[in-house]
Amino acid sequence: MSIYDMKFKPIIPLLFIALTSCSAKVSGDRVFCFNCWTNIKLFDGNDTEFEDIKNILKYYDKISDNYSARGTTNNLYQLNKATEVIEVDSKLYDLLHVASEPNISGLGGNYFDYRLGSLSKLWKDSLAEKKILDEEIVENEIIKMQNSALTFGEENKVLKVGQAEIDLGGIVKGYTLDVIKEYLTEKERKSYIIDSGSSSILLGEKQTESGYFNVTINDLDNSYIKVKNGFVSTSGTSRQGVRIGDVTCSHIVNPVTGSVVNNYDAVIVLSDKGYIGDVLSTSMMMATVDEIKDSEQKDNVKVIVIKDKNVIYKSEGIEILHY
Amino acid sequence: MDRKKLRNDLFLILGLLLVASISLIVVLSLKKVESNAVAKVYVQNEVVEVIDLSKKEDKDYYIDGLKGKVHIHTHDGAIAVVESNCPHQDCVHMGYVSETNHPIICAYNAVYIVIEGSGNGDVVIG
Repeated sequence: MSIYDMKFKPIIPLLFIALTSCSAKVSGDRVFCFNCWTNIKLFDGNDTEFEDIKNILKYYDKISDNYSARGTTNNLYQLNKATEVIEVDSKLYDLLHVASEPNISGLGGNYFDYRLGSLSKLWKDSLAEKKILDEEIVENEIIKMQNSALTFGEENKVLKVGQAEIDLGGIVKGYTLDVIKEYLTEKERKSYIIDSGSSSILLGEKQTESGYFNVTINDLDNSYIKVKNGFVSTSGTSRQGVRIGDVTCSHIVNPVTGSVVNNYDAVIVLSDKGYIGDVLSTSMMMATVDEIKDSEQKDNVKVIVIKDKNVIYKSEGIEILHY
Repeated sequence: MDRKKLRNDLFLILGLLLVASISLIVVLSLKKVESNAVAKVYVQNEVVEVIDLSKKEDKDYYIDGLKGKVHIHTHDGAIAVVESNCPHQDCVHMGYVSETNHPIICAYNAVYIVIEGSGNGDVVIG
């Protein structure tokens, strides 16, 4: 008997198609925003959704830019320059509200401050020349921050009081990923990775039985965690630290002391909200382990704290695996 | 048994074996590429240089960035920007990088260096 005579003959072409088309279609691209590249991978999306996500990223990049005016509506740069009430972009208005009152535990309130703009710029310029900023300058900047505030009016009107500049760098990436997650949920998309500079990552579900993505931890050797449907945020000195003498100076400025010396090499935060992950991963770099434990309970996040390539604290339930 | 049917069976089996062999070769060659990391250097979103890091060479590359030359160096399977005219020198301070999804960026010169092909995970944090 020939196989042509068999009853399952019709499956032969199907088998051929299955064998030759086993690679999943993935849309992948990147866009430069927030001073880094954001890699976008949509495993079950289409080209229109891809463009929409890129446009969301570009939009928030534009409105949160504190180096130049961009577009027709007032952005952060223009707000920082304004000496009277101005109408800002409506999405910037919402973002400023969240940044000024992040609605997270005392830890975020103590170590996250949206008024750090001018002090951050001064530190950045100083560290570029491998110099420690003069104490007197730091003290003056702290006083400026303490005497500055935002007042919100109706119809997107905002008044900035005081000389300190607003900086949204510590929150805008996570906040934008929250907006993107909302968009993808609305479109009923489940499988995606939106990776903003390897420091703020939005993950959906992998197209496998478990649905978990393997997230490699750069600050540990050959280590990874499994994550799905959430945000992973980190702040660390390994990529952006500057060694001056015996001290590693970070890009993260302590808003209380003005110092750029942090307690750890990296803090990784797993959260349900991107902006909370961003704010806490920055704040926790300056906190004690007890403060971190307190915050993880109150803010419902999980944390990994790393120093000298060792995990010095991790939340219950986090499993660090090895390649 | 019908000789014609037998011949057709033989052709079909040979055809399937051929497809399977080609698939195997493609899969194996892709795996080989994955274990051999390459660094892609972009200027303004265009690839200007592809560097095979698996050779572990000590080698210098000079890229024309948007506002000046960017000096790149490879060493022991890693890549670094060692010299750039950018004001903040963030790209230079990153040092040598050998991991995927861990790009070196010189925004001032619109230069972006990314390593592809050697990662184990889906994404890298940090």
